[in-house]
Amino acid sequence: MTGRKPERELAALRERLGSEPPQGLHALTGAQLADLTTAITEARRRQREALAAAGDRALNHVPRFLRGPIRRVAG
Amino acid sequence: MSRASDTLQARAEVLKLARMLGREPSSLAYLETVPLADVRTLRAQITQALWSPDGSGIGKLAAAAKLLPAGLSATISERALGPVISAQLAARLEPSRAVDVAAKLPTPFLADVAIELDPRRTSAVIAGIPPQRIGEITAELVARGEYVTMGQFVGHLDDDALRAALGAMDNAGVLRVGFVLEDKGGLDRLLALMAPGRITGIIGAAAEADLWLEALDLLGHLGPARRRQMIASARSLDDSVLERIVATVVEHELWPEARLIAERDPRLEAKLGLARS
Repeated sequence: MTGRKPERELAALRERLGSEPPQGLHALTGAQLADLTTAITEARRRQREALAAAGDRALNHVPRFLRGPIRRVAG
Repeated sequence: MSRASDTLQARAEVLKLARMLGREPSSLAYLETVPLADVRTLRAQITQALWSPDGSGIGKLAAAAKLLPAGLSATISERALGPVISAQLAARLEPSRAVDVAAKLPTPFLADVAIELDPRRTSAVIAGIPPQRIGEITAELVARGEYVTMGQFVGHLDDDALRAALGAMDNAGVLRVGFVLEDKGGLDRLLALMAPGRITGIIGAAAEADLWLEALDLLGHLGPARRRQMIASARSLDDSVLERIVATVVEHELWPEARLIAERDPRLEAKLGLARS
């Protein structure tokens, strides 16, 4: 701990969350805040991939005649 | 008074966050030093960041689900989407529609979904599940030791559903759920739905399973009438049990709660006096 307020890391977390991090997080170190931001970024990437894969798997259970309309709605 | 329950709930919040972020809970242990309310806010913010309708794809999935019969949606939920995505989908479907889908899903899978569900965003769905099904899901959650999950649901269930849930757990389970309840004001309501004979058995359950921290926390949150009912059976406690109560009181500094029992039991009062001196 250097005593420096981790403004840069807080700003990165704020941007990742899209909102102001709760006050209690301001007491964390820069490394901890950076770790949290990385964890959210990685989870977001994995979640997008998982959703895309789940969408593909889901289509396999849909009767063929419905797949066209479903694809149009789901993009 | 509820520092220990806060610690337990903070751990549970970090566990849920870790699950959401695909991390080992120990790698996020630094969050256990953050106040509980802030960890809860953070979890809500991360949920929002991960699942915002714009761009996450979940909105499109929900739109597609609306075109399918409930039975087919249930099959797809279980076989293709899994509990995490299904829980998010439940928050985006019309509640009546989500309830129809839930009716066609097996209980173990619904328990999986319940663990991932955000009850604040799915209150109407939870309220629409028939009491008998709530009892079955509760039994599954009890078997898995998911007391924190159950504690989050209590405030969203009506009396019939709560009675069914209470029927699916023993008194030790009631103590464990009560301890991690988000809104402790709900404890009196919870106990009001139990048969009087069962309430007096709670102290016995605490003695049997060594759940004095949970029992003392519960006592501290009850109204006077319910509290009297609960401690009526405390007079028959043997000496070794009284020692355990005193040890819990000393460890967690629960003196005011212990006094509630001690004023009806001079032996406990004497032991507490010794421990304090």
